[in-house]
Amino acid sequence: MLSLENISAYYGDVQALRDISLRIKEGKIVTIIGSNGAGKSTTLNTISGVLRCASGKIEFLGGRIENLPPHQIVELGVVQIPEARLLFPYMTVLENLELGAYTPKARKGKEQNQEIVFGLFPVLEERKTQLAGTLSGGEQQMLAIARGLMARPKLLMLDEPSLGLAPLLVKQVFGTVKEINAQGITVLLVEQNVFHSLSIADEAYVLENGRVVLGGGGKEILENPRVKEAYLGI
Amino acid sequence: MKMSFISRKTAHGLFLPKIYFPLVLLLFLLVLPILPRNPFYEDLIIMIFFWGTLAASWNLVGGFAGQISLGHTAFFGIGAYTSTLLWLKFGLSPWLGMFAGAGLAVLVAVAIGYPCFRLKSHFFALATIAFAEVVRLVASYWRGLTQGGVGLLISFKPGIENFIFRGKIPYAYIALGLMLLIILVSYSIRNSRFGFYLISLREDQDAAESLGVKTSRCKLIALMISVLFTAIGGTFYAQYLLFIDPDSVFSLSFSIELPLLAIIGGLGTVIGPIVGAFILTPLDVLLRGWLGGISAGLNFIVYGTVLVVAVIYFPRGIVGWLSTWYEPFLRRLPGANLAVALEGTVSPAFSSDTSEPKDSDPGDEETKSPLFKAQSLTKHFGGLAAVKDVSFQIKKGEILGLIGPNGAGKTTIFNLITGFLSPDSGRIEFKGEEITGLKPPHKVCMKYIGRTFQLVKPFNNMTALENVMVGAFSRVKKAKEAREEATKMLDFIGLLGHRDSLASSLTLADRKRLELGKALSTRPELLLLDEVVAGLNPREIEEIIRIIKAISNQGITLFIIEHVMKAIMTLSHRIIVLHHGEKIAESSPTEISRDRRVIDAYLGEEYLA
Amino acid sequence: MLATVIQLIINGLLLGGIYALISIGLTLIFGVLEIINFAHGEFLMLGMYASYWLFQLFGVDPYLSLLMVIPTFFLVGLAVQRIIIQPIINAPPLNQIFATVGLSLVLQNVALFFWKADYRTVRTAYSTLCLKTGGLMISLPRLVAFVLAIAMISALLMFLKRTYTGKAIRALAQEKRAAMLMGINVYRMYQIAFGIGIACVGAAGAILIPIYYAFPTVGALFVLIAFVVVILGGYNSLVGALIGGLIIGLVEAFSGFFLSPHLKEAVYFVIFILILLFRPTGLFGRG
Repeated sequence: MLSLENISAYYGDVQALRDISLRIKEGKIVTIIGSNGAGKSTTLNTISGVLRCASGKIEFLGGRIENLPPHQIVELGVVQIPEARLLFPYMTVLENLELGAYTPKARKGKEQNQEIVFGLFPVLEERKTQLAGTLSGGEQQMLAIARGLMARPKLLMLDEPSLGLAPLLVKQVFGTVKEINAQGITVLLVEQNVFHSLSIADEAYVLENGRVVLGGGGKEILENPRVKEAYLGI
Repeated sequence: MKMSFISRKTAHGLFLPKIYFPLVLLLFLLVLPILPRNPFYEDLIIMIFFWGTLAASWNLVGGFAGQISLGHTAFFGIGAYTSTLLWLKFGLSPWLGMFAGAGLAVLVAVAIGYPCFRLKSHFFALATIAFAEVVRLVASYWRGLTQGGVGLLISFKPGIENFIFRGKIPYAYIALGLMLLIILVSYSIRNSRFGFYLISLREDQDAAESLGVKTSRCKLIALMISVLFTAIGGTFYAQYLLFIDPDSVFSLSFSIELPLLAIIGGLGTVIGPIVGAFILTPLDVLLRGWLGGISAGLNFIVYGTVLVVAVIYFPRGIVGWLSTWYEPFLRRLPGANLAVALEGTVSPAFSSDTSEPKDSDPGDEETKSPLFKAQSLTKHFGGLAAVKDVSFQIKKGEILGLIGPNGAGKTTIFNLITGFLSPDSGRIEFKGEEITGLKPPHKVCMKYIGRTFQLVKPFNNMTALENVMVGAFSRVKKAKEAREEATKMLDFIGLLGHRDSLASSLTLADRKRLELGKALSTRPELLLLDEVVAGLNPREIEEIIRIIKAISNQGITLFIIEHVMKAIMTLSHRIIVLHHGEKIAESSPTEISRDRRVIDAYLGEEYLA
Repeated sequence: MLATVIQLIINGLLLGGIYALISIGLTLIFGVLEIINFAHGEFLMLGMYASYWLFQLFGVDPYLSLLMVIPTFFLVGLAVQRIIIQPIINAPPLNQIFATVGLSLVLQNVALFFWKADYRTVRTAYSTLCLKTGGLMISLPRLVAFVLAIAMISALLMFLKRTYTGKAIRALAQEKRAAMLMGINVYRMYQIAFGIGIACVGAAGAILIPIYYAFPTVGALFVLIAFVVVILGGYNSLVGALIGGLIIGLVEAFSGFFLSPHLKEAVYFVIFILILLFRPTGLFGRG
């Protein structure tokens, strides 16, 4: 569905990605893990078009997307839920959801989609007139995911959805991710929480220093000692 | 500036192009006023010197310190009105009135600058416009004093003591004198500690503070000097035209014209504003000559257009563009081959003392009281606790590591220690002295605590050497000493080969080294390093680790945040782990990597070990 | 005395409505593009001249001229954004400041070049009409100007609150990266926001012409007030700009009566400095 071939990207003159290649098959959950600064978020931002890649190509459903501006990539169905949620803090829950459905395609099925999202996160329906900035951390993460779903993604990319959440909520978030996937949406998950993400992933890639150093099935990677080494330096 | 060159160099130095070429220019300026023998051109020359002086004085605060004032007309007008009123009402010679006006303008500048300097750039510019507008209104409506819109007329009584002359040539030489003076002042500021401080705070205020720069005071002093010359320019203007009114000396277009000349010529350079005046003033006069009578305003249309185009397409100005030609041009002049011979005699022999291992086993120090103590530090942002009740100690000579997942509060702890944030509660002690909440950061630097920043903060438009010199100036006053210290430091961090490269042109790895060199040159006893190897490749990481070990060998105590585990595991004697703002573990690297809580925090609980 | 106070309140509010309309455009531009439009006053001046010439040449009533001024100025805003603002959108503050400062210099002097420094105004049949009730005097053109200004501000607020484009503009001001990731075309929103800002101030110029004079530097006079309003209301709050405008109108009316009309700018400046010192986010701004 999505493939990256030899992608390199820079922040200013800092090379953040070195020759990355990934493949994501339709209907799967794929995870990218790696320590801070390894290039995980950069990979997502390059796919989303927020960051231009210096070389390499990105294909989505058979079309090249590496030179498209971010809003066109969203229209194709590649939607990112950014790290730290980045909600619109002075807008209500409902307005945040509406903006999730900003693209013309998503606008058409807005009401119906909203029903689905509220089914997934009943608490958001209770708070729909509350300002997003006043929600609790867990609710904010739910809203961020819900807002992303409103865009009717074919591929949903989540950047550190468990960041800053208490353990119980972390489990809940990963449960939600599986549920979303079960509805036929392909998921690309970037996480520091290695255990959880690897246990739900069909496939996984390990990034170190802007490079892919390992790839394989989620369970396989979970047992690979190299992972622990990359994180804990032993 | 040129004179000091001669006295320092030997006689045959005079034959060097870089000495004699500026001297030729100076000579040209000195004879320029007597060349034309035609009032039109004499006036043009006076105007060039006049605008050059004013643009250069604006440049001190706007170019060097980067504080964009759009209110300089107020100081100009205050200078003009003060000396004129003192002359008209009390018969005080304008020569003395000039200093009275300058003094008053400087006082007003301090009163305005002090509160406004904390505003961000756009708002500072706004505040200065508003201030100047109010001064104009006061001058217009305080009729009893200023005669309002009617203006003030100075009767023509020639005499040196009256600052009134029959011909234009004396004015030309006064203006030239002022211009040469401001060039000299700019030049000596640019090459002094003060100048380095101004440019560093323009480039990055936080980084400058962390290196001991008293940023607020520096900005204020720059403004005072700038205003002093601007006000003197006002008196000159009044004495030259013998008439002032609010519309001519208090106008926004005057306030804009100064930065315009500086930007076109080359902002933040010594001669840029002068070059700007030499090019734009004749253009202005010509435009007025061609079109002025029939079409008021056309010259400003051209000016404004030039300004817009310049800031969009040529922000470096003429000097920035010329500077690439200047050196090669000098090399083509006769005598250039002498330079090689002369400069060859300066030996670049700098030795480093990296290999000197000093005793650093922290085990010996256990009996001593710790160098640094943090007790129950707590900091909230909004309702969220970023740091919760964190306590730790650092022993002298130790390397203490600080790790934790993203958002755990590591950098917040650094900011609490170095005066960028104040803790809500808790206590910090360094060398037995309480430094809790010590602010602003330059005070912490002066206590011998240094730091680097997670996202490196190089002073982009300064060379590597100049970057390090800013830090060295926290301990030495003279530029020569700072240069020597900084050169040694560059050698130590392995950047000597890039000493004259602009920081913006360095690679990330080199900018990380530079970050280390800047912090080290403040001679810290405790150095806080925030992710100095993040983003580097393995070979570059090895290099930095080697430098950090060498730093430690010199007896400097280190406190390190790092995400690259290999680096922190090999470097640290002890490691503290933060999670959700709380300290969850503290022990040796090997124990840390086996600690259940740490593995949970990093890899998610239930990770199968 | 009471009648005087009520009269002053009315005068102040009527004036404040126009100040609010000028300021709201400035606030919108700053909130979305994070650039202070130092040429804002010059677009007010152009709005006044546009309405003036439409009246002089074609006999178009100034209020009717809004129908032409608003769309034209919106398009002018788009063009200015495209040509001058877009290239410096990520540049250092110095470049941003002098790009619009330079533009202001150009526009002011273009006006001077074409229309000289004469004071021009439109004399309509209703220019001097006054409503008199219970000892109070309300100038009709001022009342109309106020009503139109408030109507336009309300329309703008509704647009931002209700429409998709409006919401996208607000979203962009609050969280640019997220807006981008939701499929909002940031570049187009910058243009629209700038266009709306210019349309607002152009409209303010048109409704000012029956009660004030147009001359090349008239913008500088009003833009100073607008800056104070924006700082007072909080530079990222549109409602703040509305309330700030009304407050400054009242301040002007009262200080003009009790102190001296010439000192009103000095009063603004004191407010300006006090706000910057003690409440830099303004009355309604967000930190």
